[in-house]
Amino acid sequence: MSEPEDLELEGLQRQLDDAFETTRPRAGFEDELWTRMQARRPAVTRLRDAWMGLLQGIREVPALPLAAVAAVLVVVLGAGVLVFSGLGHGGAGSTAAGRESALQPAPLSAAGAYGRLPSPVLAPRTAGPNSVTAPTADYAGPVALTWTGKLVLNISTAPVFRYQEPSSIDADQFATSLGAILVSRPAGFLGSYQTTDLSVRVRGTIQSPSSEPTFILLPIASVGAIDAAGGPADLALVFLAEHSLAPSWQYTSAAVVSGDVSKVTLLRQFGVTGYGYANLVDGSGEPYGIEVDLKGGLPTGATGPLPLNLDSAPYPIISADEAVRSALASAPAGGAGTGVPTATLTTAELVYTLVVAGDHSFYEPSILFSGTFTVSGTKYVKRVLVPAVDPSQRSS
Amino acid sequence: MVADRPPFEDLYRAYLGRIYAYVRAQVASSADAEDITAQVFMNAYQAYARFEARNTTPAAWLFRIARNATLDHFRAHGRRERLRRTIEHQPVAEEDPSGVAEERIQYRALLGQVAQLPERQRDAISLRHSGLSFEEVGTLLKCSEDAAKMLYHRAVKALKEAVEKETA
Repeated sequence: MSEPEDLELEGLQRQLDDAFETTRPRAGFEDELWTRMQARRPAVTRLRDAWMGLLQGIREVPALPLAAVAAVLVVVLGAGVLVFSGLGHGGAGSTAAGRESALQPAPLSAAGAYGRLPSPVLAPRTAGPNSVTAPTADYAGPVALTWTGKLVLNISTAPVFRYQEPSSIDADQFATSLGAILVSRPAGFLGSYQTTDLSVRVRGTIQSPSSEPTFILLPIASVGAIDAAGGPADLALVFLAEHSLAPSWQYTSAAVVSGDVSKVTLLRQFGVTGYGYANLVDGSGEPYGIEVDLKGGLPTGATGPLPLNLDSAPYPIISADEAVRSALASAPAGGAGTGVPTATLTTAELVYTLVVAGDHSFYEPSILFSGTFTVSGTKYVKRVLVPAVDPSQRSS
Repeated sequence: MVADRPPFEDLYRAYLGRIYAYVRAQVASSADAEDITAQVFMNAYQAYARFEARNTTPAAWLFRIARNATLDHFRAHGRRERLRRTIEHQPVAEEDPSGVAEERIQYRALLGQVAQLPERQRDAISLRHSGLSFEEVGTLLKCSEDAAKMLYHRAVKALKEAVEKETA
């Protein structure tokens, strides 16, 4: 081969290098295809990956609570000496963090976009088998308060989340997504539906005790064994995923097991920039989310928040000092030394509580203080919930 | 050996462009190239659990899937159609925005010439310029490394002649 021809061939090879190097798919194709691939993965595979992510996430969970504010609502809960009704003894708990999509922020509105907000109203829940944390009983008498913990709150705003009350059409669409057909609209429900093996009921927001729109799934035929390795939490996740009900929000999981009966709860969390994830708690301060009941590895029921679109708006929140003052001010006048037991509050964390408000309802930030005290040999838990939104932004 | 395998997404991000370019050099339209590339990674994703890094490189593994997917495409759509397009030098109506964008790539004509080469020559050039070693090219084309080198050099010469003929 002659030298000029060699040079020509080398030049052609360089052009080929450039040609292949510069030939790329259109912008957006890469992410588009990746999304399609993720969507086509079998549910079990997605769950397995999510689960691995969750386990990894445990090591990355942000340091615990902090936070603060004003007006005060108090709940005294007895963490008595523990007889767990319903599921009995010997619970086992586990935690895990949530799915990728749970990190997607809700559409953001301008600061204070929802105007003045109603404040949370506490309505202690009667302890029972639904609880996945400590079994509780109310302590009826007054309690004096002291604070020995450390509350660090490095944020000055926190998002308030809002949803629009769903209609029966929304409920029908949800049921359709499960493959269920409308059977009736019983009182108190947006609809009652059935698939070949499930009964599905959907209800709207309840004012008191406050509860967001909820679905209730009950098998009406024997549901087949779930093809998944692992414990109750894995089974519950697979069951939910099989019905397109795996939560799109962040969660930790907890399981209570008694013999072949178990209750798995995916405890809902909200992401707060600069803080981490804050639990959603009910009026008694108990975290909650989707619950799945299992017996012998088979699901016997599930209930949880109806999937709804949330939007959000940042609101100013009170400082840590203000929160502590408000918490302590919630104790009845007179204080210790008058035969009133004294509870020592030792922990505080940012949480979210549901505030029902008609056509639109809110998930609002609050500071949950916790401590213990003992009366007649029985140890009780004292919780104080302080609304975190600045009083100037609250209507009550 | 799970420990030998990087996360699939790493492979996907690293090789998507190269696989696309390889496929694009084989087929007449960017739309076909996208479809085939998508199929390649769908197949790879499903098969990744069985990928053994000690037996082959990720690049060779992916390009094997790409090569098979391209051949499947030709089988499904008919080689005659492909030949008609390339002989007529009519790289398909690409009126969509993505096609228009790709039209601007200055080496498109050169890849069109590559697409007209005999299958093995076309493969040798496409695989080599997609970053594979001659050993990997040989493995994919079921020949020795030396044979792959020879095949490649013949292919480049054939391409040069085709380009000269085109511009003459």
